[in-house]
Amino acid sequence: MSVAKLLNRLELNREAVLLVRNGTLVPGDAQLEDDDVVEIRPVVSGGAT
Amino acid sequence: MKCTVCREPALIDLRRHNSNFCAEHLLRFCRDQVRRAIEEFDMLRPADRVLVAVSGGKDSLAVWDILVGLGYDATGLYVGLGIGDYSDTSADHARRFATERGLELITVDVPETYGYDIPEGSRAARRAPCSACGLTKRHLFDQAAVDGGFDALVTGHNLDDEAAVLLGNVLHWQTEYLGRQHPVLEARDGFPRKVKPLVRLGEREVAAYCITAGIDYIVDECPMAVGNKHLGYKEVLNALEAGSPGAKADFYLGFLRKAAAAFGAEAEAGRAALGTCNRCGAPSSSDTCAFCRLVERATDPERSRR
Repeated sequence: MSVAKLLNRLELNREAVLLVRNGTLVPGDAQLEDDDVVEIRPVVSGGAT
Repeated sequence: MKCTVCREPALIDLRRHNSNFCAEHLLRFCRDQVRRAIEEFDMLRPADRVLVAVSGGKDSLAVWDILVGLGYDATGLYVGLGIGDYSDTSADHARRFATERGLELITVDVPETYGYDIPEGSRAARRAPCSACGLTKRHLFDQAAVDGGFDALVTGHNLDDEAAVLLGNVLHWQTEYLGRQHPVLEARDGFPRKVKPLVRLGEREVAAYCITAGIDYIVDECPMAVGNKHLGYKEVLNALEAGSPGAKADFYLGFLRKAAAAFGAEAEAGRAALGTCNRCGAPSSSDTCAFCRLVERATDPERSRR
C-alpha cells in the first residue's frame, strides 16, 4: 500500500502529517511493506501567538 | 519519486511548489526560503545580534538552526512556563539543542522568578490559557531583547501560523490587527524589533527540515492549546490546501503584497499613547502593564484562598 493510500484510509490530511520510517521521511508514493514500522508524525502546532 | 533537482530518490513531495526533494535539496530549499524572506522583508543585516525565542518545538529550533547556518550571531531564550511535564520536556529539548551546538541559551523560569505558572495565571486572570501564556511570553521576550541590547527578536512563526492568524483577523474584521500583521515590526516606544524568518515555510516543511537535519524537537502539542481557535483555523486552511495546493501561501503572502498596506493607517490610529509601567518600567498604555497585573492577580494570596 502506498503512503498516500494509507493516509487516505486513515482520513488524515497530508498537509497535517509526515510519515517517518526508520528515522527517514517517506514520500506519498512510497510503497509500505507489511512488516514496516512507521510513525505518522503530526506537524500542526499552535497556541499563543 | 525523484528529487526535482538531482533526480536522486526523493524524501518528500511539496505539492504547492510542484517539487520533490531529497535530503540535501530539502535542507537547501528551507534555508533558501528563509534567506529569501530575510531579503524580501528586509528583516536582518548580516552583523545583527539576534535573540531567538525558543520553545523546544520544531519551528523555534529550526529557525535558530537555519540562522546560525546562515552566519547570524543568534542567542536562544527559553521561557519556562510551568506547564507540568510538557514544560520539563520542552526545556530538555531546548537545552540539548543548545549544548550539542555550543550555542548560548538564556533561560527564564516563570514559576521560580514570578511565583506563578500558566494554569494558575490563567485562572487568576480569568484569561484563556493561551492568552495568559502569550502575554507572559511576549513581555519576557521583549524585556530580554531590550535588556540584552539585541538588534532583533526572532520568533518561529511559520506560514501556517500567519495564515491562521490572518484568517481569524479577516473573519472578525480586526482591521487594526490586519494593519500590524507583518513579518517585521520595527522597534518603537521601548519594544524591540521583531522578525519572523519562517513566514515562507509551511509547518510540514519545517517539521521535515527538523527530521532531516537531525533536530530532536518536542513533538507533543501543548496540553493547554488543545481545541483552541488557532488550531481550528489551521484545520480549515489545511482542508483548503489539500484541494488547492498553494492556497495558504497565496492567502498570506498575497495579503502582504496586495492588501496589508490598506490597513496601515488604522493600525497607526489605533496605537495607544504609551507611558511606562510603574512597576517594571516596560512600555504600557496604563499605569501598570498587563503583565504586572497578571503577576499580581496570580500571586495574590487572598485570591488563591477564594
